[in-house]
Amino acid sequence: MRRKLIGCLVLLVVVLYGNVARAQMPHDAIYMPKKQICLAGMYGHSRWNQYWEGSLKRENFNLGTHTTQSVMLMPAIGITDRLNVILAVPYVWTRTSAGNLLGQEGFQDFSGWLKYKVLDFRGLSLHGVVGGSIPMGNYVPDFLPMSIGMQAKTATGRLIVNYTHPATGLYLNGHGSYSWRSKIRVDRDAYQAHDRVYNTNEVGVPNAIDMGVRLGVLKPKWQLEAFTERFSCVDGDYIRRNDMPFPTNKMEMTTAGLYGKIQPKQLGLNARVGRVLEGRNAGQSWSYTVGVLYQFNYLKK
Amino acid sequence: MKKYFQHTFLKTSLLVVGCLPMVTSCEKEIMEPVRNSYVPISVDANAGTWKTYLPTAAEITVPAPKATSSPEYLAELANVKQLSASLTKEQQEKVAYWGAGAVYRWNEIGRELSAKYNLPPASNAEGKYPLPDAANPLADPKFPFANPPYTARALAYLSVAQYDALVLTWKHKYAYKRQAPSEVDGSIKALLPVSGIPAYPSEDAVVAASSFVILKAMFPGEVPFLEQKLKEHQDARLWAGMNVASDLKAGVDLGNAVAAQVMNRARTDGMSASNNQALTPGMIKLAKNLGVKTPWMSQETPARPPMLPNYGAVQTWNFDKSTLVKIRPALPHLEGSAEFEKDLNELRSIQKNQTREQARIANYWADGVGSYTPPGHWLRTAANVAHEAKYSEVRMARTLALVGTSLMDAGIGCWDAKFYYYTPRPQQFGLKTSVGLPNFPSYTSGHSTFSSAAATVLGYLFPQQAKRFDELALEASNSRVYGLIHYRVDCEMGLKHGKVIGEYAIARGKADGSNL
Repeated sequence: MRRKLIGCLVLLVVVLYGNVARAQMPHDAIYMPKKQICLAGMYGHSRWNQYWEGSLKRENFNLGTHTTQSVMLMPAIGITDRLNVILAVPYVWTRTSAGNLLGQEGFQDFSGWLKYKVLDFRGLSLHGVVGGSIPMGNYVPDFLPMSIGMQAKTATGRLIVNYTHPATGLYLNGHGSYSWRSKIRVDRDAYQAHDRVYNTNEVGVPNAIDMGVRLGVLKPKWQLEAFTERFSCVDGDYIRRNDMPFPTNKMEMTTAGLYGKIQPKQLGLNARVGRVLEGRNAGQSWSYTVGVLYQFNYLKK
Repeated sequence: MKKYFQHTFLKTSLLVVGCLPMVTSCEKEIMEPVRNSYVPISVDANAGTWKTYLPTAAEITVPAPKATSSPEYLAELANVKQLSASLTKEQQEKVAYWGAGAVYRWNEIGRELSAKYNLPPASNAEGKYPLPDAANPLADPKFPFANPPYTARALAYLSVAQYDALVLTWKHKYAYKRQAPSEVDGSIKALLPVSGIPAYPSEDAVVAASSFVILKAMFPGEVPFLEQKLKEHQDARLWAGMNVASDLKAGVDLGNAVAAQVMNRARTDGMSASNNQALTPGMIKLAKNLGVKTPWMSQETPARPPMLPNYGAVQTWNFDKSTLVKIRPALPHLEGSAEFEKDLNELRSIQKNQTREQARIANYWADGVGSYTPPGHWLRTAANVAHEAKYSEVRMARTLALVGTSLMDAGIGCWDAKFYYYTPRPQQFGLKTSVGLPNFPSYTSGHSTFSSAAATVLGYLFPQQAKRFDELALEASNSRVYGLIHYRVDCEMGLKHGKVIGEYAIARGKADGSNL
């Protein structure tokens, strides 16, 4: 019992909000042409040695540095020139450099997205995205911060506004989304949350909002951008003093970073680096992702 | 658990007062089981003769009530009639909440506070762990750190105070036999089942007041919360037309008087010396003499002093000090022996291939930080089973007192063994954990001892379910191997020890005059 660990994490956001590349992402204004697939294979690495316990920034000698790694397969499929399907299958594993908490690993949550270009006028475009995710395995959701995910099913609606200067490729992009997250079941049948005991194994995971602004250059063979992102649960409770995190926590994070891509022909590379600047109930992580991209026709002509 | 949920949801209430099946949290409705009121299977009319835990409690008296024909009583009755005439939805919900049972609800409150205060202090900048301060309970770290020994003791005193006070309540109820308001005046519609148990003094007020005194002492930062519950409980009895004001007043006085005596025992039971860290060098030396090669060491950074190393010296309930030593578990397998290697290898193998089912069992029984601990877990089980069996308040209190004292005895016996042998945790040999590592020696397993003691007592109280309780205790015990924090021998010997400890509570139960 005396779990001395304590901490917070970034894992849940691995797929949807954090750690992944931005090649034909659910966030951007880039589309695969009809009949084309871009297959991305990515490795993500995120680590923190300080976290916000509620609003208190702290370290934890019994966790040391907490590391989350993932590999992900992510195809983006051009259904039409303005409708893309994006899928993601992540495998995630965690560890700490100190203490004795057993690392967890497994397939996390499968996610799927439909991205549609609603308007496109002289470089200004509006895009609607709907997406959802479901856990692929029966991983433990409340052994935080070691759990690889939270077991919630999610449904997300997102709007993207983008302006690309046609001559230079300079772009400014903003998005906002709302994610509904399902209740989950935990192994225990009573838990402490919202300052009381719940005598059930059913846990409410708070819904979340994420937003982002990015400024960059998009050329036919390369792309470079700077971004800032904000993730926040719409409600939830705070980690109590020296307590462990729990799926009901109101996680908040503001991240800044850089993203780049080179894809001269079919084969390409991308990389992303991000740093959490400010947060609540979350780790202050550095994260990076590197990916290999491969674009091809899925219908033979 | 699923069956239990359906059962409680489908069962229609005996009365139709507003129920509160859902609690809204983060705009998501979380379903929790509902507990309804009932007519007890027996009024237990002779419970006034049952043996109290504190012999002196039996001498407390209650003044005779005014006759139901007296002007004072009639005025009180008119007041109840007026109060209960039109209730708000919120008042109806309070009536239904407290209608589930006075002992049931105050035990639940005790468990809830235990969970809320079950947080280990954080280390400070000097690398020390500041001690919680009872005089300043809401400062960081909060007082108390309601760890398993603390919680076992707090809930044992709660149940003992409730039980002793209710025995005296029954004694005076059946001496004075003053009827319930709705029996005196047919125009009063009671909102809860009327069982025929005399109303003076009010068992609800007795339980509320005695629980308040104990919980205020155990959780001094919660006085405003507890005061509100105390008032609400009494108000609910008036709103429900179940008691008049003098029923409640006599109950509060009696509850206070009994709880004061119980607190006198609590203040002198040795708990104040339970965290005497100066004793540990001597304990380690003794353990080494017994052959323990690698004594327990805190695996935390910075090293945290062990949890209540002298809790084994706290006064027990159902057996004496010499018995405690006599029933202490034998020396465990020593490091280097084949048996020790076998136990360690079992853990190594589980660490490599822990199944999801093993993880589930480990998590289900973890009852770690932020929980009401294993004693709370078992008291919840006991309270639910006694509720389903429709026990009267006094029989419910007897059930929880037998289980609760046995859990505290189990804690004391287990802590005595832990600090007598001072054995290392598997993590001192490179194991990880999937549930978190307790900060005290390994042998014997607290979960096993607590669970076996409680299951043994529950098996005596509810013989038809004895097999189920034993299975639950075994699963709780195994959970500590699956969670990688106990060797097999810790769990097996803890189960045996707990059973012996439970038997002493059963002996008390058999001799308490209840013939139950």
